Amino acid sequence: MTSMPPVRSRLQRWLGAVSALSIFISACMLVVLVAVFGWLVFGRYVLNVTPTWVEQLALLLVVYITYLGAAAGVFEKNHLGVTAFRDALPAPLRRLAMLIADTLIAGFGLVMLVSSIELFEFGWSTDLPMLNIPESFRTLPAAICGGLMFLFAGARVLAISLDLLKGRPASQELD
Amino acid sequence: MGLAILLGLFGLCVLLGIPVAFCMGIAAAAAFFYEGFPLLIAFQRINAGISVFSLLAIPFFIFAGELMLHGGIAARLVRFASTLVGSMRGGLASVNIFSSMLFGGISGSAIADISALGSLLVPVMKEKGYRGDYAVNVTVTSSIAGIVIPPSHNMIIYAIAAGGGISISNLFLAGVVPGIMMCGLLAVVAYVLALKHGYPSEAFPGFSAVLVAAAAALPGLVTAIIIVGGVLSGVFTVTESGAFGALYALGLTVLVYRSLSWKGFVRAVVTSVRTTAMVMILIGCASAFAYLLALYRVPDLLTDVLVTLSDNPYVILFLLNVILLLLGMIMDMAALILICTPIFLPIAENIGMDPIHFGIMLLMNLGLGLCTPPVGTCLFVGCAVGKIPVEEALKSIWPFYLAMFAALMLVTYVPAISLTLPALFG
Repeated sequence: MTSMPPVRSRLQRWLGAVSALSIFISACMLVVLVAVFGWLVFGRYVLNVTPTWVEQLALLLVVYITYLGAAAGVFEKNHLGVTAFRDALPAPLRRLAMLIADTLIAGFGLVMLVSSIELFEFGWSTDLPMLNIPESFRTLPAAICGGLMFLFAGARVLAISLDLLKGRPASQELD
Repeated sequence: MGLAILLGLFGLCVLLGIPVAFCMGIAAAAAFFYEGFPLLIAFQRINAGISVFSLLAIPFFIFAGELMLHGGIAARLVRFASTLVGSMRGGLASVNIFSSMLFGGISGSAIADISALGSLLVPVMKEKGYRGDYAVNVTVTSSIAGIVIPPSHNMIIYAIAAGGGISISNLFLAGVVPGIMMCGLLAVVAYVLALKHGYPSEAFPGFSAVLVAAAAALPGLVTAIIIVGGVLSGVFTVTESGAFGALYALGLTVLVYRSLSWKGFVRAVVTSVRTTAMVMILIGCASAFAYLLALYRVPDLLTDVLVTLSDNPYVILFLLNVILLLLGMIMDMAALILICTPIFLPIAENIGMDPIHFGIMLLMNLGLGLCTPPVGTCLFVGCAVGKIPVEEALKSIWPFYLAMFAALMLVTYVPAISLTLPALFG
């Protein structure tokens, strides 16, 4: 294991900040979700008036929490996965497996980005019920997630490829 | 060929160590592409899989569990359990199991259970002369009860994976007896081992101390009563009860116990966001994956294979258990619920099994998998909390595995264990 070159270290910090921002926005949305649902329960059982917009807003918030959190999870590597087989490989093969894995994740992110932009365009003329905002706002987080996944996994692909090309041992961010 | 692409690519991605959610997403996108469907349909299915109203309960349950973990509810439950069962031989093991039953029942998360109770009880057990592996094994195996004792967000995932036609309140009721039975069998094993090793018992503190501890723990236990009671009585929907439970836990830990710091609150929110995102993206990707499994008629194909092996329902049930246990050893719970339910539930229904009964059997199988290597999240967290190597825990975990396996077999072959309460109160 070697220390990271300065450019890569800066990139790592920048990507870390993007990931932390995603988590921060998701965390705020979770607090809002709990608050609006509290309002729904209060309205329905105490005031006898059901705020019908809450359910639609809650569904929208959950989509944002999911996609932003999932994108940050790619950077933080905290998604559920089975790494036992990969970890059992000898070091050079393990790096190759990580390279392929990150390439596939980056590719999936890119396809998600492109497809979600298409869905975003399709949804612009349709409004979300009760909220009166375009349906596209529901697909926007998927596009952001795809873009971030491409960025986070793509950066790792670049780092591993450079290490392999220059014959360097694995950098810190890969272990 | 499409099915080969779907399953082959999924298997390859799993072997490469790609997160299971993306394994399903990548395999589904490739199969959609092969079939000539526009790729955006795959992502539309993922979006649709996430935007389900009853799934909103999941972030609330997770958040409530995290608030309890960081808000001092666990410590009060342990004190209550200690006054109640601590005077038995190997009393702290019984306290550990009983606390798991209470805390797991409230939080619904095995990991939260281990983190909260393990960090409180394992050091004390070691201090009092209990072996580290014994303390860890008791903590790890008893935490699984939280998965079947209601409320449990895994039950909601199962209900969604089963197509949404299963009553969540019946699932909640169905998990009560199996969870208590599992804890009972674990307590027997822990007691026998305590006698063998000569572990001490705690002094009985007197009935007044029991009452004081019960009064302190009661507000925490009310969280579970609100969630489960609200759903069973029909007053709340699952989502509303989850939200109300989270708000109650927040109010309790901030205003009544005054034990939730700002730092603890932030940690609870951030951990909840991470867990929610992890679970929900799995559900979304599994939705696209399950669509294709249905398209390729995988459940029908597998049923044909199993029926050629045997037409005896008992043998098929045993085979299902073996497959689920093996899968549970290599993959985590939420992912397996989502993958296995659409495949195995039709087989179970084909041999006359109730979907509620199958759900409890599935959760217990996958729960056992959480305690087994190579992918035993609970085992690893427990060993980290207890500061012992996994190998050391594995040397002496077998009696506890046997107790859990016995509970699983009883639940599998005696449907009344899980179906009596739903029949009476559902």
